[in-house]
Amino acid sequence: MSAEILATPDTGAAPVGHYAYDQVDRAFLHDRVEQFRDQVARRLSGALSEDEFKPLRLMNGLYLQLHAYMLRVAIPYGILDSRQMRELAHIARTYDRDYGHFTTRQNIQFNWIRLEDTPDILARLAAVDMHAIQTSGNCIRNITCDQFAGAAVDELLDPRVHAEILRQWSTLHPEFSFLPRKFKIAISGSPNDRVAARFHDIGLVAKPGRHGTVFDVFVGGGMGRTPVVGVHLRDNLPEEDLLAYLEAMVRVYNEYGRRDNIYKARIKILVQALSAEGYREKVDAEFAAMDRARYRLPPETVAAIRARFGTPVLDAPSDAADRLAEARRTDALFDRWVRTNTHPHRAAGYISAVVSLKPDGGIPGDATSAQIDAIADIADRFSFGEIRISHMQNIVLGHVRQDQLHALWQELGRAGLASANIGLIGDIIACPGLDYCSLANARSIPIAQKLSARFANPALQERIGDLQIKISGCINACGHHHAGHIGILGVDKKGEEFFQLTLGGSAGNDAAIGQILGPALPEDATVDAIAHLVDAYLVHRTDGERFLDTYRRLGAALFKDAVYALA
Amino acid sequence: MDVRNNRRQAGGSSVVTANRLLDGRIVWLAEDGAWSGRIDAAQVFSNDGIEAVIDTATRRQQADGVVGVYGVQIGDDSTTPVPVTVRERIRAFGPTVHPEFATLTEGPPDVR
Repeated sequence: MSAEILATPDTGAAPVGHYAYDQVDRAFLHDRVEQFRDQVARRLSGALSEDEFKPLRLMNGLYLQLHAYMLRVAIPYGILDSRQMRELAHIARTYDRDYGHFTTRQNIQFNWIRLEDTPDILARLAAVDMHAIQTSGNCIRNITCDQFAGAAVDELLDPRVHAEILRQWSTLHPEFSFLPRKFKIAISGSPNDRVAARFHDIGLVAKPGRHGTVFDVFVGGGMGRTPVVGVHLRDNLPEEDLLAYLEAMVRVYNEYGRRDNIYKARIKILVQALSAEGYREKVDAEFAAMDRARYRLPPETVAAIRARFGTPVLDAPSDAADRLAEARRTDALFDRWVRTNTHPHRAAGYISAVVSLKPDGGIPGDATSAQIDAIADIADRFSFGEIRISHMQNIVLGHVRQDQLHALWQELGRAGLASANIGLIGDIIACPGLDYCSLANARSIPIAQKLSARFANPALQERIGDLQIKISGCINACGHHHAGHIGILGVDKKGEEFFQLTLGGSAGNDAAIGQILGPALPEDATVDAIAHLVDAYLVHRTDGERFLDTYRRLGAALFKDAVYALA
Repeated sequence: MDVRNNRRQAGGSSVVTANRLLDGRIVWLAEDGAWSGRIDAAQVFSNDGIEAVIDTATRRQQADGVVGVYGVQIGDDSTTPVPVTVRERIRAFGPTVHPEFATLTEGPPDVR
């Protein structure tokens, strides 16, 4: 955390929803871009070998994927402003193939980047206070956050200021730049877990305590090869100890985490090996021994960082809700979209709108440069220029006046962004899969497209109700298949693609790992199998029962028969 | 290189591939020793001798402006080289979800 934050005056209106950079931040980013420009030049000249250059480019978010370089740009806690969004559109249009892919880490990836263009791209990003640092490597990655933070009616505390504090603490942290493996932190301020806190290396839930903000702490969750639901490490961690305690947690991991086996290097394996109690004892011992004054997070620092966040003026007219109700009565399509794609806001007359990036038969999370620009324009007009990326690969406009929601929806329709499917079977998470990813075993996107097209009928989707399908192209589980009500995992069988189904996963408060249903299937049979699962659910569900509830009540046998009995 | 990218059977045939350093695009070692963006320009080698070809290409990769050289087994039943694994067919012919990005206008319509 830089003390300069406290000394640097504001130079303009802070952006709503995220921290405003100061001169120190900008000078650092400029230097970092020039450093990478030099590294690229030395790579192209042959002064650096690929082995020497690879860790340098990964530290700047540049991967070499199946077809080209891929640049992953950080979107801290998933929030950006319209100016930044337009720059992403410009990059997609100028340096890529006119689209970007929003990820399950609330970031964006560009799939067709040229190495020689990358320094210029990073310079353009730096000009709008963005970068690609720590979007790769064995370090603390982008801190993810509730997509309805600061807006949701059920929220106890807006977690974004603390997400920013954690971002500053973890950025270029000298002790934690070479951890045993990558490290992911999520933070929420709602009792309803929308960040998959129990599936993160560290999950934090902020809430008001008797003497200020406190945190519930989860540790050791994760997906990947060894899926684990995180353990509840402690309650009511005081705000002033947040950094000290997390420092202790990551130190213990850094010291005891395995470095001899990449598949056993995540903190979840350490917590299992030590037991939750054993890990807690080591963290407590480290916490007790450290210089607490050095790591203390004083309220003045929290206030100084909070002051660098813009705050929306929420002053909807008193009849905003009535006008929304009237629009819903007169426009059935709009009414359906409101039912599925909005979330209750804490302020009277406001609502949060979710822009689906899952059109019928489309690629989950992809948006064209025109759509990215359109979202920026719509955010300026309707939501204080603030844009949120959800880990479900959708966009959220957090603060929309209810009387303006119909106009917003019409604008989304003109941009091809008005799909009404949030939380339904069409709202599929899918990793890039074998169409792009050099780690993948199978393609994820074509199955998502086929399922999306098969269940495109919005009335059918609403009838099926809450059903989360999550697709990963390999066991690294970037598509979160372990946490899907229906999970699909691509596997490689002698060079050909097959798909394994898991049922019963959940990323919420009732976090659970999906269980394998049976033998892996070819692609088209997998799509048919999902249809059979849905049919079985519709026959056997009781009133108001989600797919997940029916599965938990009846068990796997019924669903296994639905898929495999006819085979 | 990942072992799964080096699956080759005795008696079979392979082509040699890499990524271009400047832009990361996939290239294939062609008849004249140059690197082509099209697999149908690739030279086909017997698996019995391909390790030596890969070694030579790897030593030249900085001079040639490529990175990550390895061999790809192909099927025996086509005039255009077609890799035997779906992964390498996607590399050869482009992402299946964007037909407009196909690397060969006359490539196989379906990588499966």
